[in-house]
Amino acid sequence: MISLQTVTKLYNEGRPGEVRAVDEVSLEIVRDAVTVLKGPSGSGKTTLLSIIGCMARPTSGRVLIDDRLVSGLPERFLTEERRSTFGFVFQRFNLIRGLSVLENVTLPAAPLGQDPREVEARALARLEALDLAGKAAMPVEYLSGGETQRAAIARALINDAPILIADEPTANLDTDLTHRFLDIVGALRDEGRTVIMTSHDPRIWQADHVNAVISMQDGRIVGEYA
Amino acid sequence: MTPAFRRQRALADYTLAALARRRGKNIGLVVIYALVVFVVASALLFSSALRHEADTVLAEAPELIVQNLAMGRHDMIKGDVIDDLAAIRGVTRVEGRLWGYFYDSVNGANYTLMVPLDPDRVLAPGEAMIGEGVPRVRGMFWETAPLFLSRYSGDLVRFDVVERISSESALVSTDLILLNEADFRDFFGLPGGVYTDIAVTVRNSREIETIMSKASALLPEARFITRDDISRTYQKLFSWREGIMVALAAAALLAFAIFAAEKASGLSAEEAREIGILKAVGWNMTDVIAMKLWEGALISAGAFLIGTLAGYLHVFTFQAGLFAPILKGWSVIYPDFALTPRFDGVQIAALFLITVLPYTAATLVPVWRVAAADPDQVMR
Amino acid sequence: MIFQTPILALLLVSALASAVALWSGWFALRVLRHWNLASGSREQLQLERATELVSTLFRFVMLAELAALVLFVFNADRMAPLFVGAMCAVGTLSANDWGFPALYLKIAVFFAASVWLMLDRADRLGHDYPLTRLKYGAILAIAPLVVASAAVQLTYFLNLETDVITSCCSKVFTAANDGIASEMTGMDPARALWLLAGAGLAVALAGTVSLWRGRGHGVFALAGAAFFLVALVAIVSVISLYIYDHPNHHCPFCILKPDYGYVGYALYLPLFVATALAVGAGSLRPFAQVESLKAVLPAVLRRQVMQALVGFAIFGVVVIWSIASSRLILFG
Repeated sequence: MISLQTVTKLYNEGRPGEVRAVDEVSLEIVRDAVTVLKGPSGSGKTTLLSIIGCMARPTSGRVLIDDRLVSGLPERFLTEERRSTFGFVFQRFNLIRGLSVLENVTLPAAPLGQDPREVEARALARLEALDLAGKAAMPVEYLSGGETQRAAIARALINDAPILIADEPTANLDTDLTHRFLDIVGALRDEGRTVIMTSHDPRIWQADHVNAVISMQDGRIVGEYA
Repeated sequence: MTPAFRRQRALADYTLAALARRRGKNIGLVVIYALVVFVVASALLFSSALRHEADTVLAEAPELIVQNLAMGRHDMIKGDVIDDLAAIRGVTRVEGRLWGYFYDSVNGANYTLMVPLDPDRVLAPGEAMIGEGVPRVRGMFWETAPLFLSRYSGDLVRFDVVERISSESALVSTDLILLNEADFRDFFGLPGGVYTDIAVTVRNSREIETIMSKASALLPEARFITRDDISRTYQKLFSWREGIMVALAAAALLAFAIFAAEKASGLSAEEAREIGILKAVGWNMTDVIAMKLWEGALISAGAFLIGTLAGYLHVFTFQAGLFAPILKGWSVIYPDFALTPRFDGVQIAALFLITVLPYTAATLVPVWRVAAADPDQVMR
Repeated sequence: MIFQTPILALLLVSALASAVALWSGWFALRVLRHWNLASGSREQLQLERATELVSTLFRFVMLAELAALVLFVFNADRMAPLFVGAMCAVGTLSANDWGFPALYLKIAVFFAASVWLMLDRADRLGHDYPLTRLKYGAILAIAPLVVASAAVQLTYFLNLETDVITSCCSKVFTAANDGIASEMTGMDPARALWLLAGAGLAVALAGTVSLWRGRGHGVFALAGAAFFLVALVAIVSVISLYIYDHPNHHCPFCILKPDYGYVGYALYLPLFVATALAVGAGSLRPFAQVESLKAVLPAVLRRQVMQALVGFAIFGVVVIWSIASSRLILFG
């Protein structure tokens, strides 16, 4: 379980342009489920997602993952916590151009000092499962939109993270690809993974695979339903 | 393989791929870097080779030279002191030397005229041996061409060249003309029984101080120059010239360091985005710094190798064509000879420190600044 | 005399090291004043990130200083022909009053910086920056040392004049003079060897105990430091004699010359590194009790003690080899 206790995040703290991106949010997210944060842009859902995913530290409040306090951790250990717990799929996918699909997918494993052959085998298996095995050696800029997203998912899972975080995953996808994505999410949940994503796409929060929807506005939670 | 080792390998692999992707930019950097290394390496290797040449020359020189002084200036010395000096215990040989300079008004060169002491090189009257520089400046293309020297307008003295000296120590012999003793005295109008100076050979070089003090009691007016003194002067001269060259190169180095810092901090948007992605997918600051250090190490190693190798070729294959005038020049005639290749550990270590350290120092802070990027910036 | 490439390189290293030390000192003051791990403020985050920079810079300076220490001695040796009466590094170093102080300060910087690096590594193992304040307190002590070392070295090179008649090592290292050098030289060879063997035994025992029981690192550090001093005395008093095959040549610098196969470096490098590791282990041991280091530090200490023992062992092997391969017979 991930639990947030009165978490606040300020940008430009104490300066004229101070922004209260997240305002005293308390929240619990259950494991082995699919949770969606919804709300208009600027509602603070992406900031909240990056706090949940240990990308950013809250200005105040506490974050606990399975009862371990992570909000006070120094950046270095926060990163270690993050890479063993979370896999990220970003809105713009953020693959590195010029590198092949396989090289991109193995990137998060590079600092871990694992056997490179073993990492590669894991990556290929993951790509296989996502119908990308044939494109492993291809530079990522030659992939289509759906393929790019699946490569990003493969990268997010290379370290076998139990929690997958996705920021507006379907913003650039058509209906077919959206359904395909939701199927993948369902399969991941059935593997025993937790999925947390933001979206303002009704197709997402109305989907069968989604277990909980949290609605945000102006940095606050305005509704929670399962 | 330990995890730490595998981590470094993975980071190095990534760095190599990144370098290859930005080939153009990195080749430019390496070329400029290598150019700086080349300048410093050439100066270093060249003067180190010159020092070695000087040592070779001096190895055959007498341990002690005695000169007469008149009014504080060098003057001819009388031959009768030779026996007095030879009587000092520990002295094996004493010889009077005859040498002088001749200004050649035809081409503005200065020759060293000398009577050989070496019994193998005794010359008959009218004969001469010349260093390899003389025929070069005189345009004497035929091996057998005679040498004409003109002391004043209307004067012409002819010598038959019996040998052109091609010695290992061309640095000193290049402007040399060896003559018969009688010819020499005649040429310079020198009376018999005086010498330019006196060379003293000593059995044990550790006794040189003692012998010098005895000799100076005999000849209180004379000046004594030991081989070590000369060697020291050469060493200092060459080291100093090299140092000046390196200090000048330091200016180039500074400019390069600023350039490198600029390069490292003014990351392209593309590169900054990549670092952001790496941090977002779970690399921490140490990983990014280590990756960037790999990049610096690979660039430094490449530039250092290329620069040093080019410097080596420049000095030992192309006779240091670019710097020879600055580092050698003590005569109009530059020696034309191949230096003996030499590699000196201290020099290489110093070269490495002096070129790689400024680059590293200049890039460390920008690298850190890049690595300190917020991991969540790619989500904003 | 500063226009010599190796000297320029040395001055460059010390100038950079001083710049890093001064900046780190200033940063250390900020850390001591504003460090607050509980705060998630921007300033704290910046401080935390800057500690990465300080660690990286210090590691570099340390590597450069180690190289500079070797280069300093090597260069002094190489410059000896420029000085009347000098045979090796001793002559160059005693050409003015600043040479030996410069060397000693460089050695001090080496030890201080290596202990600091070990402290830094331990600190990075803990989740709550357990030693950060201590570490930056230590920087305030090290920074003046680095700057002093640079200043003394600069003074030494600026005042270096080749026309000075200096002392040959055989005049410094004789029993006839007063002073430490002659005390060391005058020690009876047999006694020096016994002392060295005793100190070696003490190091081995203390090391084994600390490996076995996970404690007693302080004793090991003391034994290591004692071994270091005894080893230096033994080198001057007896080991050098074996290396030179000469019953009266005691110089601890001539062994660095190519004439003797650079055997000096094989003696000094393991000795210095092992001593630094041993002293570092002793200094770190108290922090094995710290909550966040309890789980990880003992293993690190164990490895460090092992490495130190290996270093001392290499030194011992080189000593035995020099004695065994020597044609000089001092005893029997």
